[in-house]
Amino acid sequence: MRPAVAQYYPGDSVIHRLDPRAKFVAVTALAIALFVRDSFAALAVFAVAGAAAYALSGVPAAWFWRAFRPLLWLVGLTFLAQVLFAPGAAFLSFWIFHVSWEGLEFAAFLSLRLVVLVLIGSVLTLTTPPLALTDGLAWLGRPLRKLHVPTDELALMVTIALRFIPTLLMELDQIMRAQRARGADFASGGPIRRARALVPVLTPLFVLSFRRADELALAMEARCYRPGIVRTRLHPLRAGARDAVLLAVTAAVIAAGLLV
Amino acid sequence: MSDVRGMTLACRAVGFSYEEADAPIPALRNVGFELDAGLSLALLGASGSGKSTLLQVIKGLDEPEAGDVLLDGAGLDDASCRDLRRQVGLVFQAPELQLFATSAREDVAFGPRRLGWSEAEVAATVDEALDLVGLPPGEFGGRHPYALSGGEQRRLALAGVLAMRPRLLLLDEPFVSLDPATRRELARILSQLRSDGVTLVLATHDVDLAWALCDQLLVLDEGAVAAAGAWDLGEDGRRLLAASRLREPFLVELWRRLGRDPADAPRTLAEAAEMLS
Repeated sequence: MRPAVAQYYPGDSVIHRLDPRAKFVAVTALAIALFVRDSFAALAVFAVAGAAAYALSGVPAAWFWRAFRPLLWLVGLTFLAQVLFAPGAAFLSFWIFHVSWEGLEFAAFLSLRLVVLVLIGSVLTLTTPPLALTDGLAWLGRPLRKLHVPTDELALMVTIALRFIPTLLMELDQIMRAQRARGADFASGGPIRRARALVPVLTPLFVLSFRRADELALAMEARCYRPGIVRTRLHPLRAGARDAVLLAVTAAVIAAGLLV
Repeated sequence: MSDVRGMTLACRAVGFSYEEADAPIPALRNVGFELDAGLSLALLGASGSGKSTLLQVIKGLDEPEAGDVLLDGAGLDDASCRDLRRQVGLVFQAPELQLFATSAREDVAFGPRRLGWSEAEVAATVDEALDLVGLPPGEFGGRHPYALSGGEQRRLALAGVLAMRPRLLLLDEPFVSLDPATRRELARILSQLRSDGVTLVLATHDVDLAWALCDQLLVLDEGAVAAAGAWDLGEDGRRLLAASRLREPFLVELWRRLGRDPADAPRTLAEAAEMLS
């Protein structure tokens, strides 16, 4: 089974040991700052910061490629759309398309910005176990409880969903194999035929998922789960000096990016 | 399904690995055996020893990395390979998970329709298969698959494979989580298929049913063949089964404890009763 878009890469680097809340805040702030200014210089600052964090994390470069590959078509599409439709003095025109140097430059900028965004985002997901991430998000969302938003319950839902993605993928694979053994063909025909070929796969998958959800809910109740109460944690989140350093460095990078 | 001409099966030095994130995990190493037409083979081995993988490679859901799978003597490169593979039925572990249609009859018809048979032919084979698994089409044909009991669902899924008239039937843990009555019923169906001439491969942990149903055995250990051929009822055979976290069949052990020659041990309880009375 191939790892998902940017699956956690177990490790013990400085980046891995940072508090998930600090990492999430830093990455969110960087991502917003990335979209504030349209300049190559700012982009370069964020790219260097992202690359440095990636290098510190000790995650092999191949993993970034793996995380990035599924998004390649998005970057390509952005590039094409910009090149072909951006206004400017065209040096090449055909049919409804006009290619200009400005368009080319802007297209390159937008594509690179996406690459940097994925780089920064992947540092977070590659170095933070999904459970720690949802824990962190639940903590960050706590003020919303004043507005009666059930943040802990939402976090638990996300946690459970994440936990079952590999299970569902495995079951999907099993069911597809079973139907292939009965002569099902998922690879040929037009889009409509292919979509119809999925009915024998999705029906059992849904039935199984609902049954499992039902059983899980019962099992959780049997173990005294109750929504709406404050729960303690086995591994409480602890922020330390290195998280303060991360936030300071992030602020400095953002300042540099916005000022260059 | 009476008088099917069973298919011969042979594996020659079959190797297969699963692609994983970091390194491939070998699942089958140099697996070789032969099974004559109409015979039945018990595929034994601890969990994770490669039983399911071997069945899927034989069916052609996975291509082996090394070696060859011969169906009726024709290898993977042979022009007839595709057609022969269609005559191989594979019943997955917990096959009731593959039921999807809104009636039992429709679900069983799925496979035969994929084979491009005429509606008349499909209707005939569906009725025949439902009858064979003990779900008379008049009573069960129109029922919703999810409205059936667990045991009925398992038999319905088996009918879905039998309706494609396999000449070689591969079964992956068919007896797991069935109540004793359904197990007995399933054993009856398999023994019926066997006497009809279908070649059977039965991956199971249940040595007693394997002993009752299978002429030969193949024991896998970490993807390699630990034993193949006739049942070895001697000391070595016992040790081998124990090493795979199995035990010798109950009737063999009984014969040994009674001081009789285990080689003469009966295959079924009925035979044992007759021999003892």
